[in-house]
Amino acid sequence: MSWLRRLLRTPEGVAGFAILFVLLSAGLLAPVVSPGDPLKIAGRALLAPFADPAFPLGTDRLGRDVLAGLLYGARTSLAVGVAAAFSAMVLGLCVGLAAGFAGGLIDEALMRVVDAFQIVPAFLLALAFVSTIGVSTPVVVLAIALGTWADPARLTRAQVLAIREQDYVASARVIGMHPAEIAFREILPNALPPVLALSATIVAGAILTEAALSFLGLGNPNIATWGSMIAEGRSVLRSASYLSVIPGAALAVTVLGVHLFSEGLGKVLGDDGVRAA
Amino acid sequence: MSGIFCSLRQLSVTYGRDRDGAAALDGVDLDIVAGERLAIIGESGSGKSTLARALAGLLPEGAKVGGEMLWPGLGHPPRAGRDFGFVFQDPGSSLNPVLTVGEQVAEGARRHLGLSWKQAYVRAWELLGRVRIPQPDKAMRAFPHQLSGGQRQRVSIAAAIAAQPALLIADEATSALDVVVQAEIVRLLDGLVREDGMTLLFITHDIALASGFVDRIAVFRNAKLVEAGPVRSVLSAPKSDYTAALIASHRDLATPPLIAEVPA
Amino acid sequence: MNDTLLSVENLSKGFSSAGRQVAALDNVSLTIAPGETLGLVGASGSGKSTLSRILLRLLSSDAGSIRFEGADWLALDGAPLRRKRARMQMVFQDPLAAFNPLATVGTVLDDPLRIHGIAAKDRRPGEIVMLLERVGLTADHAARPVRSLSGGQRQRVAIARAIATKPSLLVLDEAVSALDVTVRGRILELLVDLQKEQGIACLFISHDLAVVRAVSHRIAVMDGGRIVETGPAAAVVAAPQSEAARALVAAVPRLVTDPC
Repeated sequence: MSWLRRLLRTPEGVAGFAILFVLLSAGLLAPVVSPGDPLKIAGRALLAPFADPAFPLGTDRLGRDVLAGLLYGARTSLAVGVAAAFSAMVLGLCVGLAAGFAGGLIDEALMRVVDAFQIVPAFLLALAFVSTIGVSTPVVVLAIALGTWADPARLTRAQVLAIREQDYVASARVIGMHPAEIAFREILPNALPPVLALSATIVAGAILTEAALSFLGLGNPNIATWGSMIAEGRSVLRSASYLSVIPGAALAVTVLGVHLFSEGLGKVLGDDGVRAA
Repeated sequence: MSGIFCSLRQLSVTYGRDRDGAAALDGVDLDIVAGERLAIIGESGSGKSTLARALAGLLPEGAKVGGEMLWPGLGHPPRAGRDFGFVFQDPGSSLNPVLTVGEQVAEGARRHLGLSWKQAYVRAWELLGRVRIPQPDKAMRAFPHQLSGGQRQRVSIAAAIAAQPALLIADEATSALDVVVQAEIVRLLDGLVREDGMTLLFITHDIALASGFVDRIAVFRNAKLVEAGPVRSVLSAPKSDYTAALIASHRDLATPPLIAEVPA
Repeated sequence: MNDTLLSVENLSKGFSSAGRQVAALDNVSLTIAPGETLGLVGASGSGKSTLSRILLRLLSSDAGSIRFEGADWLALDGAPLRRKRARMQMVFQDPLAAFNPLATVGTVLDDPLRIHGIAAKDRRPGEIVMLLERVGLTADHAARPVRSLSGGQRQRVAIARAIATKPSLLVLDEAVSALDVTVRGRILELLVDLQKEQGIACLFISHDLAVVRAVSHRIAVMDGGRIVETGPAAAVVAAPQSEAARALVAAVPRLVTDPC
């Protein structure tokens, strides 16, 4: 965990880590702080924040607790964001590794597939996917992953192409290592660092995409999400702006936190590069 | 004869980072005489490259410098390109891959001698001739990757001396080249420096290569200056065991081989 | 078969560069007997590295044949090739780039032992210690990351890895060129020792004739993709016949230690 210590020495790393830690705690402690279904009608409608100690952040048009929605929404955002980014990364890594390592026609064919997915704007792809298939959480995760896997694939392939020429890969061939072992033990671990740095950006994008899909009514209607909260607050934006602003601010802070964390991570990994030189 | 060009008094360099603190150079006292050819000899970790970079002002951020560097010959700290030229070890990465050879050699002349581009190009062409690049006209328009390693190093030397600097620093300039090209580059440097009256600082790990043409050598080990003096006296009567070890480990064609003549 | 371990015949390899055909290797032929060291010397661009890469099957050839241990070396492929690779190993020039940045000395030495089944799993740590001691390192080097070692130590690990499979031929491509002068001599001594002890034949490639002379029984001189001279080491050095050899002899720096 030495990289964690180094990360916490950078200002971005500390800020990012702190925000993500708060977020994670919020999600985990949601059932403790606000037990029960966040979508249940809990009190009077349109209660302002800080007016009633039972509802610290007020209630929405139907009387649902905003704080509960915020905390449970954190879960959704994080879970969907991380799951989607993870799927995108795994898919991208596999395709990139295969393309870079195999070369030739396989490389060409795979890169054309990557091209196809990169050309379509990620959000529209996710949108189209969810509208056709349905609005369950796994479908949303898959939809977001489909829109974002192309970048990690390309980056992995570029890394693999560079690493393939290194002497240590030639060494592995000379001692008789099987190509599959070379790909997974020699090349992949060394190709990872820049791709991992990309993962933080993908998580941020995934969180935003999930919020946008919920906002448009294409998320899972049975769970609390920040996107749907923002959407619901639209009609009372003038009188009860807090209904949209609070989840909106949470979203902004989360994405900022992820970006800061990724900056810090990039610095730590970049440091390694300089030190090795 | 000539005065002191540069004087180092207790020069120390530490690469600052949170935990390290190991000195790259430790209390170095050395004078560089104007017009002389001085070889800095050392193995890895000796501090020789750090010395070159300290003189050239090329130390990374966060490097702490102690002691002093005095420049009685110039009266002020040297300006890059104008007062000194630097030749790096790897001509593949020290030349800009997207600029032509002519442009890179002419740039120094244009910037520091106030020549127009046209005049600078003419000077670049002359310099390429001086460093014995075959077909200088073609070479002017070529890109670094189209030349061989030895030719790239000649181009680097031409670029370094374009503005007629007083000091030429060659930091392991021959270490990436094969032995035949090394000998040619060393001859070239020797000739150029003599013709132009430049001071040469030749940094290398190869004591034999340097001893063939320099006036003085300074031996470095583990960030300290071990011994310095005229090359013949140091080699014939080394004062330090380390210098003696360096001399003893030199291998040439006269050294008895390690194997028996006929395979077992 | 007979007294020849390796026999290269009329090996050729061309590259197309900027629209022209460049012959990196032009009808190269050489032989190596068991237990012998052949020094291959030449300036950069003479084709030495291309030859070594073709020998190690890292590069394909255009024409010619290679017979190794009595069999057609170039005809092997896939799993049979991987198995036979144990018999021919290589030490690379750059001791830093030759190892996976994430590897420890132990994993580096474990790989060939595991891949070729040299020792059973429980016997491997012992075998690794033996290898380390054979090349002048100690058992506690096994846990250290390769990156933390000095250049000379790394090259010793590279040699240990190469001899782990008990090869009959070791190819050393500029193996000491990147090392400090004081370290070079010891590595060369190690190589000569190993050869005496285990009877490994060596192809020692370098641009430095002095280094080649120190460890080779015979020397072959390469120039422009061709072998221009071959002969016993002492003879080639004392009386070079080809222009390339003469240039190499003249280029070796000599240390003048007598006072002016």
